[in-house]
Amino acid sequence: MSDVIAKDDLLRLVDQWLAEGKRVLGPVKAGDGVILYAPLAASSQLVLEGFVHAANSIKEAVFPRSETIYTYKFNGHEIELSDVDPDSTQCIVIGARPCDAASLPVLDHLFNWDYKDKFYNARRAATTVVTVACSEYDDNCFCTSVGLGPAAEQGSDAMLLKAPDGWYEVRAVTDKGTALFNGKTTPAPEIKVPISDGPAKKFDTVDIETFLKNNYESDAWRDITMRCLGCGACAYNCPTCHCFDIVDEGDAAGGRRVKNWDSCQFGQFTVHASGHNPRAVQAQRQRQRIQHKFRIYPEKFGAILCTGCGTCTRNCPVSLGVLNTLEAIAAVARGSIEVK
Amino acid sequence: MSDATGFEPKIVAYVCNWCTYLGADLAGTNRLEYPPNVRIVRLPCTGRIDFNLLIKTFEMGADAVIVSGCHPGDCHYTAGNYHARRRWTMFRELLDTLGFEMDRIHFAWISAAEGKKFQQFITETTEKTRALGPYTAYREICEASR
Amino acid sequence: MIDQLRQTCRKLLEEGAVKVVIGYGQDKPSMMPHPVFITKPEECDRLVWNDLCFANLAAYITRKEIKALGKPAVIVKGCDERALVVLEQESQFTRDGIYVIGVACTSLPASGVGNPRAAKCASCAVRTPRYADVTIGEAAVGSSAVGSSSCSTADAEFAQLDEFMKKTPAERFAYWKAELSRCVKCYACREVCPMCYCNRCIVDKNRPTAIDTSATIKGNLAWHIARAFHQAGRCVGCDECTRACPAGINLRLLNQSLAKSVERAFAYKAGMDKETPPVIGSYSLEDKENFIQ
Ligand code: SF4
Ligand code: SF4
Ligand code: SF4
Ligand code: SF4
Repeated sequence: MSDVIAKDDLLRLVDQWLAEGKRVLGPVKAGDGVILYAPLAASSQLVLEGFVHAANSIKEAVFPRSETIYTYKFNGHEIELSDVDPDSTQCIVIGARPCDAASLPVLDHLFNWDYKDKFYNARRAATTVVTVACSEYDDNCFCTSVGLGPAAEQGSDAMLLKAPDGWYEVRAVTDKGTALFNGKTTPAPEIKVPISDGPAKKFDTVDIETFLKNNYESDAWRDITMRCLGCGACAYNCPTCHCFDIVDEGDAAGGRRVKNWDSCQFGQFTVHASGHNPRAVQAQRQRQRIQHKFRIYPEKFGAILCTGCGTCTRNCPVSLGVLNTLEAIAAVARGSIEVK
Repeated sequence: MSDATGFEPKIVAYVCNWCTYLGADLAGTNRLEYPPNVRIVRLPCTGRIDFNLLIKTFEMGADAVIVSGCHPGDCHYTAGNYHARRRWTMFRELLDTLGFEMDRIHFAWISAAEGKKFQQFITETTEKTRALGPYTAYREICEASR
Repeated sequence: MIDQLRQTCRKLLEEGAVKVVIGYGQDKPSMMPHPVFITKPEECDRLVWNDLCFANLAAYITRKEIKALGKPAVIVKGCDERALVVLEQESQFTRDGIYVIGVACTSLPASGVGNPRAAKCASCAVRTPRYADVTIGEAAVGSSAVGSSSCSTADAEFAQLDEFMKKTPAERFAYWKAELSRCVKCYACREVCPMCYCNRCIVDKNRPTAIDTSATIKGNLAWHIARAFHQAGRCVGCDECTRACPAGINLRLLNQSLAKSVERAFAYKAGMDKETPPVIGSYSLEDKENFIQ
C-alpha cells in the first residue's frame, strides 16, 4: 500500500508551512549554478531533482554556523549576563538526501554525551526531515560503503520516492513524518517505486578501521595527504563534522558569546596557549579527520562519523576529501601502493 | 544642532600625530568652533591607518569616517602619506564595487598650521553627513549579525 | 607534449637537479587532475596535463611541508607563473632555489558556465610562460597577446566588472549582502591562493580581534574586504579562490575591482614583470589624489 502526493501539491504544502511561520530548508540554486541547502522564501526556489548532492549539508538546521549562547553587558564594573533561549522554531527540511538525514542520529551521540547541548537538542526536536530517495549518484558517492544506501531511512521522518508522471510516493518513517503528511496524500496501491542499488561498494570499513588502528605513524599519511591545503571546504560542508569554537564578540558596551564552526584541518585548530602545536603538519590534521571518523567515533559511540555523501571530495579544491583518502588507504592496506 | 528627527551624526576621524592632530589643536587654541560630532583618533601617520579600522568604525555605528594627515612632502616619516594615498586609491575602488556609500568616507590633507581648514572640513563633513542621515544600510547588516 | 613533460621531469630528478616535481596527477579517470609531488624518476609517468589542470601549483612553494622536501620543480601555466613572479618579488624564494617548468596553454577551455577557467582564459595575456626555465608546448593559435608583458589588456578583461558597476551603489550592496551571506568562512579561497602565505592570517588573530570570527553578514563583509584588499596589486587573477569556493561566491569580481584600479591608476599588473616595483610598497609623487580634500 503506497501513499502518493503530486509535485504541485507538495509545493503547495511547502508554501503552507512557510505561511504557518515554519522555517523551511531545502536545496536552492545559488550563484553560478551551485546547489545549496538554504532557507526558502517560497516553494518556487526549491530544486528537488537534477543534481546528485548539494554543495553543503543540512546540519545548519540543528547546528548553525554561528549561534549565540549568551549575551553580556558591562555595567560600570559589573558584568550582566543574559541567557539566550535555544531556538525552537519549527523547521522542516525538504529534499534532503538520505546521506544528510543519516547524519542526525550520528550527531545525537556527540551532542548528548557528557554534556547535553540544549541548543542542538531544541533545534533537533523542532526539526522534521523529509528526504528524497536518490535516483542518481556520482563517482564521489559511497553511502553503500558505510552501511547506508539510496533509500536508507536513518534520520528521515518521511521519505519521498520519485514516481512517474509528477508523483512522489510518500513513506512516513516516524510519527513526525506521519503527522506532516497526514491527510495530504492519496492511496495508490498500484504505485511501488523501485529503489536503485546505489554506487558499488568502494572499500571495506573493517579494513579501514584495522589500518587506522595499526598505522597511526605510517608514512602513508604524509604521502597521501601531501596536497591537502588545510581549508574547511570538507569539514564545513560535511553533515557529520561538528567541531566548534567558542568566542566572544562585542565592544566596550557588551557583546555575545558565540559558538562557531571550526575545523580540525586549520593549522591554528590545536595551537596551545604556549604556542606549541601538537598537530604541526597537515598530514597529522588529515590523519585526525580520518581517524576520528572511522576509528575514534565508532569506538566511542558505535557509529561511523561519515555517511558517504561525498560532499567533502566534491568540494575539495585538490580532489582529496575522505573518499580519495580512504581509497588510497585501502590501496596501501592491500599493498598495491608502496609507501616511500 | 540636531535636525527635526533628532539625528546627530557620529563621525570618527583618524588623523596623524604630526599634522592634522596639531591642526586640530590649533583650531582649539584659536577657539575656532566646530561641531562636536567628530571623535578624533590620533595615529602616528596616515601610512599607519589600517583599512580594517575604517570597517570597524562603521561596524560600531559611525555614519562617516575621516582620514587626514600631512600634505604631500610634509610627512614626518618622509613617505607615509604617499603610501597611504596609493592604498586609499585602491581601497576606495573596492568599497565602491561593494556598494559602500562613498560620500561617508572622507580624505584630507591638513597641516599643523591649518586650524582654519580643520574647522571648515569638520563642519562641512558634519553637515553633509547630517543631510545623508544615519548609515542605515550598514546598521542593518550589523543588526542582522547579532 | 605529456611525454616531453614527463621526460623533462624524469631528467631533473635523475640528475638530482631538483628533489621534487610539483605537477598534476589524476589517480583515476573520474577525478579532477590534482596536485602531485613526484620524488622518484620512475614515478614521472603519474604526471598528466590537460585542460582541467586548474590548480595553481605556485601555492605550494611557500608551504613548510613542501619546502621540507628540498628544491622543487614546479609546473606552471602562464597565469600561475605570474604568482611566482610576485612571490619572488616578495622574497618568498630565491630564483635559483626553484626550477620552473612552464606549459603553454595549447588549447583553450570550452567557454561557458561551469568551467572555472572560462572567464580568465578568455582575456589571458600570458598563454606562453616567459619566466620559466623551460617551456613546453606552443600557445594556441588565435590567442591575441601571446607572451605580451604589457599592461594594455583589452577591456574585455574587465567587461563583467564594468557591467556590474552600472548598478547603483545600493544595488551593489544588496548583491554582495546576498552573495556574502553564503560564506561559511571555510577559508578555501585563502588556502588555495598563492598570495595568501601568511603563517597567521588576520582573521586568526584575536588580541585584538580585527574581524569577527562569526560567519554573519557583518563578519563576512569584513573578511572579504580584508581578503581582497590584502591582495591589492598582488592578485594575479588566477581565479583559484573563485574555483575553490564551495558556496559559489563571485570573488573574481572583487579581485578585478582592485586589479582594474591598479592598472588604471598606476599602470601596473601584478606578476607581469619582475623588475617593475610592486605597486604596494612603492609610490610616485605624481600619483593622483582627486579624492583628497
Ligand atoms: S581535504 Fe581538501 S577540502 Fe579538506 S582540508 Fe584538505 S584541501 Fe581542504
Ligand atoms: S566525511 Fe565527507 S563523505 Fe563523509 S559525511 Fe562528511 S562530507 Fe560526507
Ligand atoms: S586572490 Fe584569487 S585570483 Fe588572486 S592570486 Fe589569490 S587565488 Fe588567484
Ligand atoms: S571559499 Fe567561499 S565559503 Fe569559504 S571562506 Fe572563501 S568565500 Fe567563504
